[in-house]
Amino acid sequence: MLQAHSFLWNYLWVAPNLLLFALGILVWLRGLRRQLPAFLAYAVLSSISGLALFAADVIPSVSAVNFWRIDWLSLSVETFVKFVAIGEIFSRVFNPFRSISKLGKYSVSAVGAVLVFGATFLAAISPGDSTLRLISGAHLLELTVYIVESGLVLFIFLLVAYFRTPWDRVSFGILVGYGVSSCVHLSLWAIMTNAAPTAHQRTIFDFVNMATFHVTVLIWYYFLLVPAQRSRPSSPKNNSDQGPSDPPAGGSPQDHEGTLNEWNRELERLIHQ
Amino acid sequence: MTLAIILIVAASLALIVILGISFSRALQVSGDASVSKRVQPLDVDAFRNLIDPTEREYLRSRLPGAEFREVQRQRLRAMAAYVQVAGRNAAVLVNMAQGGLASSDAHTAEAARQLIDGALLLRRNAAFALLKIYIAMAWPDWDMAAAPILNGYVQLNGAAMLLGRLQNPAEPVRISAR
Repeated sequence: MLQAHSFLWNYLWVAPNLLLFALGILVWLRGLRRQLPAFLAYAVLSSISGLALFAADVIPSVSAVNFWRIDWLSLSVETFVKFVAIGEIFSRVFNPFRSISKLGKYSVSAVGAVLVFGATFLAAISPGDSTLRLISGAHLLELTVYIVESGLVLFIFLLVAYFRTPWDRVSFGILVGYGVSSCVHLSLWAIMTNAAPTAHQRTIFDFVNMATFHVTVLIWYYFLLVPAQRSRPSSPKNNSDQGPSDPPAGGSPQDHEGTLNEWNRELERLIHQ
Repeated sequence: MTLAIILIVAASLALIVILGISFSRALQVSGDASVSKRVQPLDVDAFRNLIDPTEREYLRSRLPGAEFREVQRQRLRAMAAYVQVAGRNAAVLVNMAQGGLASSDAHTAEAARQLIDGALLLRRNAAFALLKIYIAMAWPDWDMAAAPILNGYVQLNGAAMLLGRLQNPAEPVRISAR
Protein backbone atom coordinates (compact mmCIF):
# COMPACT_ATOMS: atom_id res chain seq x y z
CA MET A 1 0.00 0.00 0.00
CA LEU A 2 2.66 2.49 1.03
CA GLN A 3 4.65 2.11 -2.16
CA ALA A 4 5.29 4.48 -5.00
CA HIS A 5 2.66 4.20 -7.76
CA SER A 6 0.28 2.21 -5.59
CA PHE A 7 -3.42 3.11 -5.74
CA LEU A 8 -3.10 5.29 -2.61
CA TRP A 9 -0.07 7.02 -4.08
CA ASN A 10 -1.90 7.82 -7.31
CA TYR A 11 -5.00 8.90 -5.42
CA LEU A 12 -3.06 11.27 -3.12
CA TRP A 13 -1.28 12.79 -6.09
CA VAL A 14 -4.32 13.25 -8.35
CA ALA A 15 -7.31 13.78 -6.04
CA PRO A 16 -6.13 16.91 -4.16
CA ASN A 17 -5.20 18.58 -7.45
CA LEU A 18 -8.58 17.73 -9.00
CA LEU A 19 -10.30 18.97 -5.84
CA LEU A 20 -8.26 22.18 -5.89
CA PHE A 21 -9.13 22.77 -9.53
CA ALA A 22 -12.81 22.19 -8.73
CA LEU A 23 -12.47 24.61 -5.80
CA GLY A 24 -11.12 27.22 -8.21
CA ILE A 25 -14.17 26.73 -10.43
CA LEU A 26 -16.50 26.97 -7.42
CA VAL A 27 -14.75 30.14 -6.25
CA TRP A 28 -15.33 31.56 -9.72
CA LEU A 29 -18.97 30.49 -9.84
CA ARG A 30 -19.72 31.84 -6.37
CA GLY A 31 -18.54 35.29 -7.38
CA LEU A 32 -15.44 35.25 -5.16
CA ARG A 33 -13.13 35.80 -8.11
CA ARG A 34 -13.05 39.56 -7.57
CA GLN A 35 -12.28 39.15 -3.90
CA LEU A 36 -9.71 36.39 -4.30
CA PRO A 37 -8.15 36.69 -7.76
CA ALA A 38 -4.71 35.55 -6.59
CA PHE A 39 -6.05 32.54 -4.68
CA LEU A 40 -8.16 31.62 -7.71
CA ALA A 41 -5.03 31.79 -9.88
CA TYR A 42 -3.19 29.66 -7.32
CA ALA A 43 -5.95 27.04 -7.27
CA VAL A 44 -6.06 26.74 -11.04
CA LEU A 45 -2.34 26.99 -11.85
CA SER A 46 -1.17 24.87 -8.93
CA SER A 47 -3.62 22.07 -9.70
CA ILE A 48 -2.81 22.11 -13.42
CA SER A 49 0.93 22.00 -12.73
CA GLY A 50 0.42 19.18 -10.18
CA LEU A 51 -1.57 17.15 -12.70
CA ALA A 52 0.97 17.87 -15.44
CA LEU A 53 3.69 16.58 -13.14
CA PHE A 54 1.69 13.43 -12.46
CA ALA A 55 1.23 12.91 -16.21
CA ALA A 56 4.97 13.37 -16.73
CA ASP A 57 5.58 10.77 -14.03
CA VAL A 58 3.36 8.09 -15.54
CA ILE A 59 3.91 8.67 -19.27
CA PRO A 60 6.83 6.41 -20.25
CA SER A 61 8.01 8.65 -23.09
CA VAL A 62 8.85 11.49 -20.67
CA SER A 63 12.49 11.13 -19.71
CA ALA A 64 13.72 11.56 -16.13
CA VAL A 65 15.49 14.79 -17.03
CA ASN A 66 12.35 16.19 -18.60
CA PHE A 67 10.34 15.16 -15.55
CA TRP A 68 12.62 17.21 -13.31
CA ARG A 69 12.49 20.15 -15.72
CA ILE A 70 8.70 20.03 -15.51
CA ASP A 71 9.03 19.80 -11.72
CA TRP A 72 11.16 22.96 -11.69
CA LEU A 73 8.68 24.81 -13.87
CA SER A 74 5.72 23.61 -11.80
CA LEU A 75 7.43 24.59 -8.57
CA SER A 76 8.34 28.04 -9.88
CA VAL A 77 4.81 28.81 -11.06
CA GLU A 78 3.23 27.45 -7.87
CA THR A 79 5.63 29.40 -5.66
CA PHE A 80 4.97 32.68 -7.45
CA VAL A 81 1.18 32.47 -7.31
CA LYS A 82 1.27 31.14 -3.75
CA PHE A 83 3.14 34.18 -2.44
CA VAL A 84 0.87 36.51 -4.39
CA ALA A 85 -2.11 34.74 -2.77
CA ILE A 86 -0.60 35.13 0.71
CA GLY A 87 -0.04 38.83 -0.05
CA GLU A 88 -3.68 39.06 -1.10
CA ILE A 89 -4.84 37.61 2.21
CA PHE A 90 -2.54 39.99 4.08
CA SER A 91 -4.11 42.94 2.24
CA ARG A 92 -7.62 41.69 3.00
CA VAL A 93 -6.85 41.54 6.70
CA PHE A 94 -4.85 44.74 7.20
CA ASN A 95 -5.75 47.19 4.41
CA PRO A 96 -9.19 48.10 5.81
CA PHE A 97 -7.47 49.68 8.83
CA ARG A 98 -5.39 52.72 7.94
CA SER A 99 -3.75 52.88 11.35
CA ILE A 100 -1.83 49.63 10.89
CA SER A 101 -1.88 48.93 7.14
CA LYS A 102 1.38 50.79 6.49
CA LEU A 103 3.11 49.29 9.50
CA GLY A 104 1.88 45.88 8.39
CA LYS A 105 3.21 46.32 4.86
CA TYR A 106 6.61 47.51 6.03
CA SER A 107 6.97 44.84 8.66
CA VAL A 108 5.86 41.98 6.41
CA SER A 109 8.27 43.21 3.71
CA ALA A 110 11.11 43.32 6.22
CA VAL A 111 10.27 39.89 7.62
CA GLY A 112 9.95 38.52 4.08
CA ALA A 113 13.39 39.85 3.14
CA VAL A 114 14.97 38.37 6.29
CA LEU A 115 13.28 35.03 5.61
CA VAL A 116 14.49 34.95 2.01
CA PHE A 117 18.08 35.65 3.07
CA GLY A 118 17.88 33.14 5.93
CA ALA A 119 16.30 30.44 3.76
CA THR A 120 18.88 30.98 1.01
CA PHE A 121 21.66 30.65 3.55
CA LEU A 122 20.17 27.45 4.99
CA ALA A 123 19.73 26.01 1.50
CA ALA A 124 23.35 26.87 0.72
CA ILE A 125 24.66 24.97 3.73
CA SER A 126 22.32 22.00 3.23
CA PRO A 127 24.13 18.98 1.82
CA GLY A 128 21.30 18.16 -0.62
CA ASP A 129 19.97 14.70 -1.31
CA SER A 130 21.22 13.91 -4.78
CA THR A 131 24.39 14.16 -6.78
CA LEU A 132 22.35 15.46 -9.69
CA ARG A 133 22.01 19.21 -9.33
CA LEU A 134 18.70 19.24 -11.17
CA ILE A 135 17.15 17.02 -8.48
CA SER A 136 18.85 18.34 -5.35
CA GLY A 137 18.26 21.91 -6.58
CA ALA A 138 14.52 21.27 -6.89
CA HIS A 139 14.40 19.81 -3.39
CA LEU A 140 16.40 22.68 -1.91
CA LEU A 141 14.08 25.12 -3.64
CA GLU A 142 11.15 23.32 -1.96
CA LEU A 143 12.91 23.70 1.39
CA THR A 144 13.58 27.41 0.78
CA VAL A 145 10.00 28.08 -0.28
CA TYR A 146 8.54 26.37 2.78
CA ILE A 147 10.88 28.22 5.17
CA VAL A 148 9.75 31.56 3.73
CA GLU A 149 6.09 30.53 3.50
CA SER A 150 5.82 29.19 7.05
CA GLY A 151 7.67 32.23 8.40
CA LEU A 152 5.39 34.66 6.59
CA VAL A 153 2.21 32.87 7.62
CA LEU A 154 3.40 32.68 11.22
CA PHE A 155 4.20 36.40 11.18
CA ILE A 156 0.73 37.27 9.86
CA PHE A 157 -0.86 35.10 12.56
CA LEU A 158 1.24 36.83 15.25
CA LEU A 159 0.32 40.29 13.92
CA VAL A 160 -3.37 39.39 13.91
CA ALA A 161 -3.10 37.92 17.40
CA TYR A 162 -1.36 41.00 18.75
CA PHE A 163 -3.70 43.57 17.20
CA ARG A 164 -6.81 41.36 17.55
CA THR A 165 -7.61 42.41 14.00
CA PRO A 166 -10.98 41.16 12.81
CA TRP A 167 -10.61 38.86 9.83
CA ASP A 168 -13.14 37.14 7.68
CA ARG A 169 -13.69 33.41 7.53
CA VAL A 170 -12.29 33.03 4.02
CA SER A 171 -8.98 34.79 4.76
CA PHE A 172 -8.63 32.85 8.00
CA GLY A 173 -9.28 29.50 6.32
CA ILE A 174 -6.88 30.11 3.45
CA LEU A 175 -4.13 31.17 5.82
CA VAL A 176 -4.70 28.21 8.15
CA GLY A 177 -4.38 25.93 5.13
CA TYR A 178 -1.12 27.52 4.05
CA GLY A 179 0.15 27.45 7.64
CA VAL A 180 -0.52 23.74 8.20
CA SER A 181 0.79 22.72 4.81
CA SER A 182 3.98 24.82 4.97
CA CYS A 183 4.95 23.69 8.49
CA VAL A 184 4.47 19.97 7.74
CA HIS A 185 6.19 20.24 4.36
CA LEU A 186 9.07 22.20 5.90
CA SER A 187 9.69 19.43 8.45
CA LEU A 188 9.66 16.72 5.80
CA TRP A 189 11.84 18.56 3.31
CA ALA A 190 14.27 19.40 6.12
CA ILE A 191 14.70 15.66 6.72
CA MET A 192 14.83 14.77 3.03
CA THR A 193 17.49 17.36 2.16
CA ASN A 194 19.61 17.04 5.29
CA ALA A 195 19.25 13.58 6.84
CA ALA A 196 19.78 11.26 3.86
CA PRO A 197 16.71 9.06 4.38
CA THR A 198 16.44 5.63 2.75
CA ALA A 199 14.35 5.12 -0.37
CA HIS A 200 11.51 3.60 1.66
CA GLN A 201 11.56 6.45 4.17
CA ARG A 202 11.52 8.91 1.28
CA THR A 203 8.43 7.20 -0.12
CA ILE A 204 6.72 7.46 3.27
CA PHE A 205 7.59 11.16 3.42
CA ASP A 206 6.11 11.60 -0.05
CA PHE A 207 2.88 10.02 1.20
CA VAL A 208 2.80 12.37 4.20
CA ASN A 209 3.50 15.37 1.92
CA MET A 210 0.67 14.45 -0.42
CA ALA A 211 -1.72 13.63 2.43
CA THR A 212 -0.98 17.01 4.02
CA PHE A 213 -1.77 18.75 0.74
CA HIS A 214 -5.04 16.80 0.60
CA VAL A 215 -5.95 17.91 4.13
CA THR A 216 -5.07 21.49 3.20
CA VAL A 217 -7.41 21.41 0.21
CA LEU A 218 -10.20 20.04 2.42
CA ILE A 219 -9.56 22.85 4.94
CA TRP A 220 -10.00 25.36 2.10
CA TYR A 221 -13.22 23.63 1.00
CA TYR A 222 -14.58 23.92 4.52
CA PHE A 223 -13.77 27.58 4.99
CA LEU A 224 -14.62 28.77 1.48
CA LEU A 225 -17.77 26.80 0.84
CA VAL A 226 -19.38 25.94 4.18
CA PRO A 227 -21.19 28.98 5.56
CA ALA A 228 -20.42 30.14 9.10
CA GLN A 229 -22.84 29.19 11.85
CA ARG A 230 -25.20 32.08 12.43
CA SER A 231 -27.12 30.90 15.47
CA ARG A 232 -25.67 32.77 18.41
CA PRO A 233 -27.15 33.24 21.82
CA SER A 234 -28.05 36.83 22.54
CA SER A 235 -26.50 36.82 25.99
CA PRO A 236 -23.87 39.56 26.17
CA LYS A 237 -21.36 37.24 27.75
CA ASN A 238 -21.22 35.25 24.53
CA ASN A 239 -20.72 38.29 22.38
CA SER A 240 -17.79 39.92 24.01
CA ASP A 241 -15.28 38.02 21.96
CA GLN A 242 -15.49 36.17 18.73
CA GLY A 243 -13.54 34.00 16.42
CA PRO A 244 -13.14 34.27 12.70
CA SER A 245 -16.40 34.28 10.82
CA ASP A 246 -18.05 35.93 7.85
CA PRO A 247 -17.20 39.56 7.34
CA PRO A 248 -17.15 41.39 9.59
CA ALA A 249 -16.58 38.52 11.95
CA GLY A 250 -20.18 37.65 12.65
CA GLY A 251 -22.78 38.72 15.17
CA SER A 252 -25.54 41.19 14.54
CA PRO A 253 -25.37 44.69 16.00
CA GLN A 254 -28.19 43.76 18.36
CA ASP A 255 -26.07 40.94 19.74
CA HIS A 256 -23.45 43.43 20.76
CA GLU A 257 -25.79 46.10 22.04
CA GLY A 258 -25.76 44.85 25.59
CA THR A 259 -22.00 44.59 25.60
CA LEU A 260 -21.59 48.09 24.19
CA ASN A 261 -23.91 49.55 26.79
CA GLU A 262 -21.88 47.82 29.43
CA TRP A 263 -18.71 49.22 27.87
CA ASN A 264 -20.20 52.71 27.83
CA ARG A 265 -21.04 52.49 31.50
CA GLU A 266 -17.52 51.33 32.22
CA LEU A 267 -16.04 54.21 30.23
CA GLU A 268 -18.20 56.70 32.06
CA ARG A 269 -16.91 55.27 35.31
CA LEU A 270 -13.33 55.58 34.09
CA ILE A 271 -13.76 59.17 32.97
CA HIS A 272 -15.41 60.27 36.16
CA GLN A 273 -13.08 58.54 38.56
CA MET B 1 21.26 16.32 10.52
CA THR B 2 21.57 19.15 13.07
CA LEU B 3 20.03 21.54 10.56
CA ALA B 4 17.15 19.11 9.98
CA ILE B 5 16.46 18.95 13.72
CA ILE B 6 16.55 22.74 14.04
CA LEU B 7 14.14 23.15 11.12
CA ILE B 8 11.79 20.44 12.44
CA VAL B 9 11.68 22.08 15.87
CA ALA B 10 11.08 25.50 14.29
CA ALA B 11 8.34 24.15 12.02
CA SER B 12 6.67 22.32 14.93
CA LEU B 13 6.70 25.45 17.09
CA ALA B 14 5.31 27.52 14.21
CA LEU B 15 2.53 24.96 13.68
CA ILE B 16 1.68 24.95 17.39
CA VAL B 17 1.51 28.76 17.45
CA ILE B 18 -0.63 28.92 14.30
CA LEU B 19 -3.05 26.25 15.52
CA GLY B 20 -3.07 27.77 19.01
CA ILE B 21 -4.03 31.20 17.68
CA SER B 22 -6.60 29.64 15.34
CA PHE B 23 -8.31 27.63 18.05
CA SER B 24 -8.15 30.39 20.63
CA ARG B 25 -9.88 32.76 18.21
CA ALA B 26 -12.36 30.20 16.95
CA LEU B 27 -13.28 28.76 20.31
CA GLN B 28 -12.93 31.81 22.51
CA VAL B 29 -14.98 30.96 25.56
CA SER B 30 -15.28 34.16 27.45
CA GLY B 31 -17.39 32.69 30.23
CA ASP B 32 -18.79 35.54 32.22
CA ALA B 33 -16.08 37.89 31.03
CA SER B 34 -18.20 41.03 30.92
CA VAL B 35 -16.69 44.32 29.93
CA SER B 36 -16.34 45.47 33.51
CA LYS B 37 -14.27 42.37 34.22
CA ARG B 38 -12.15 42.51 31.10
CA VAL B 39 -11.47 46.23 31.12
CA GLN B 40 -8.86 47.29 33.61
CA PRO B 41 -9.52 50.75 34.98
CA LEU B 42 -6.89 53.29 34.03
CA ASP B 43 -6.23 56.29 36.27
CA VAL B 44 -5.90 58.92 33.57
CA ASP B 45 -4.79 61.71 35.96
CA ALA B 46 -2.05 59.61 37.49
CA PHE B 47 -0.91 58.61 34.00
CA ARG B 48 -0.91 62.28 32.96
CA ASN B 49 1.27 63.13 35.96
CA LEU B 50 3.70 60.36 35.13
CA ILE B 51 4.29 61.55 31.58
CA ASP B 52 4.34 65.26 32.43
CA PRO B 53 7.79 66.59 31.37
CA THR B 54 7.65 69.45 33.92
CA GLU B 55 7.24 66.91 36.71
CA ARG B 56 10.31 65.12 35.42
CA GLU B 57 12.31 68.34 35.19
CA TYR B 58 11.25 69.26 38.70
CA LEU B 59 12.53 65.93 40.02
CA ARG B 60 15.76 66.31 38.09
CA SER B 61 16.39 69.78 39.54
CA ARG B 62 15.61 68.67 43.10
CA LEU B 63 17.23 65.27 43.37
CA PRO B 64 20.86 64.21 43.13
CA GLY B 65 21.76 62.33 39.93
CA ALA B 66 21.71 58.77 41.30
CA GLU B 67 18.53 59.32 43.27
CA PHE B 68 16.81 60.94 40.27
CA ARG B 69 17.68 57.96 38.10
CA GLU B 70 16.28 55.53 40.69
CA VAL B 71 13.05 57.53 41.04
CA GLN B 72 12.80 57.90 37.27
CA ARG B 73 13.14 54.12 36.83
CA GLN B 74 10.28 53.57 39.24
CA ARG B 75 8.20 56.12 37.34
CA LEU B 76 9.04 54.36 34.07
CA ARG B 77 7.96 51.00 35.53
CA ALA B 78 4.64 52.52 36.53
CA MET B 79 4.37 54.13 33.09
CA ALA B 80 4.93 50.73 31.44
CA ALA B 81 2.13 49.25 33.53
CA TYR B 82 -0.24 52.03 32.45
CA VAL B 83 0.71 51.65 28.79
CA GLN B 84 0.14 47.89 28.98
CA VAL B 85 -3.32 48.42 30.46
CA ALA B 86 -4.17 50.99 27.77
CA GLY B 87 -3.06 48.54 25.07
CA ARG B 88 -5.11 45.70 26.57
CA ASN B 89 -8.20 47.89 26.84
CA ALA B 90 -7.73 48.86 23.17
CA ALA B 91 -7.75 45.16 22.27
CA VAL B 92 -11.03 44.70 24.17
CA LEU B 93 -12.47 47.60 22.17
CA VAL B 94 -11.39 46.06 18.87
CA ASN B 95 -13.24 42.87 19.75
CA MET B 96 -16.35 44.70 20.83
CA ALA B 97 -16.57 47.09 17.88
CA GLN B 98 -16.56 44.21 15.39
CA GLY B 99 -20.30 43.79 15.84
CA GLY B 100 -20.83 47.39 14.72
CA LEU B 101 -19.17 46.70 11.39
CA ALA B 102 -22.10 44.45 10.46
CA SER B 103 -24.64 47.18 11.07
CA SER B 104 -26.95 48.10 8.21
CA ASP B 105 -26.75 51.70 9.40
CA ALA B 106 -23.87 53.39 7.56
CA HIS B 107 -23.14 55.78 10.45
CA THR B 108 -22.88 52.94 12.94
CA ALA B 109 -20.65 50.89 10.65
CA GLU B 110 -18.43 53.92 10.04
CA ALA B 111 -18.25 54.68 13.77
CA ALA B 112 -17.29 51.06 14.44
CA ARG B 113 -14.59 51.23 11.77
CA GLN B 114 -13.21 54.45 13.24
CA LEU B 115 -13.24 52.96 16.72
CA ILE B 116 -11.33 49.88 15.53
CA ASP B 117 -8.89 52.09 13.63
CA GLY B 118 -8.31 54.22 16.72
CA ALA B 119 -7.92 51.19 18.96
CA LEU B 120 -5.44 49.58 16.56
CA LEU B 121 -3.47 52.82 16.41
CA LEU B 122 -3.38 52.97 20.19
CA ARG B 123 -2.26 49.36 20.38
CA ARG B 124 0.49 50.02 17.84
CA ASN B 125 1.63 53.14 19.70
CA ALA B 126 1.52 51.25 22.98
CA ALA B 127 3.94 48.66 21.59
CA PHE B 128 6.37 51.39 20.47
CA ALA B 129 5.96 53.29 23.74
CA LEU B 130 6.74 50.15 25.75
CA LEU B 131 9.90 49.66 23.72
CA LYS B 132 10.91 53.27 24.42
CA ILE B 133 10.13 52.89 28.11
CA TYR B 134 12.30 49.79 28.43
CA ILE B 135 15.14 51.62 26.66
CA ALA B 136 14.62 54.62 28.93
CA MET B 137 14.93 52.35 31.98
CA ALA B 138 18.52 51.73 30.94
CA TRP B 139 19.08 55.47 30.35
CA PRO B 140 16.71 57.29 32.73
CA ASP B 141 18.09 60.67 31.60
CA TRP B 142 16.58 60.12 28.15
CA ASP B 143 13.47 62.19 27.61
CA MET B 144 10.82 59.89 26.15
CA ALA B 145 7.34 61.07 25.28
CA ALA B 146 4.32 58.89 26.06
CA ALA B 147 1.76 61.64 25.55
CA PRO B 148 0.40 60.10 22.30
CA ILE B 149 -0.75 57.08 24.30
CA LEU B 150 -2.76 59.19 26.72
CA ASN B 151 -4.22 61.34 23.94
CA GLY B 152 -5.07 58.24 21.93
CA TYR B 153 -6.77 56.67 24.93
CA VAL B 154 -8.91 59.72 25.57
CA GLN B 155 -9.88 59.91 21.87
CA LEU B 156 -10.74 56.23 21.96
CA ASN B 157 -13.15 56.84 24.81
CA GLY B 158 -14.93 59.40 22.63
CA ALA B 159 -15.11 57.03 19.68
CA ALA B 160 -16.54 54.25 21.86
CA MET B 161 -19.16 56.62 23.26
CA LEU B 162 -20.16 57.66 19.72
CA LEU B 163 -20.55 54.06 18.61
CA GLY B 164 -22.60 53.30 21.73
CA ARG B 165 -24.92 56.21 21.04
CA LEU B 166 -25.41 55.17 17.41
CA GLN B 167 -26.07 51.58 18.41
CA ASN B 168 -28.60 52.51 21.05
CA PRO B 169 -29.96 56.06 20.75
CA ALA B 170 -32.60 55.39 23.41
CA GLU B 171 -29.94 55.34 26.05
CA PRO B 172 -27.80 58.46 25.64
CA VAL B 173 -24.34 58.32 27.10
CA ARG B 174 -23.40 61.01 29.56
CA ILE B 175 -19.82 62.03 29.41
CA SER B 176 -20.17 65.42 31.04
CA ALA B 177 -20.00 65.86 34.81
CA ARG B 178 -22.94 64.39 36.67
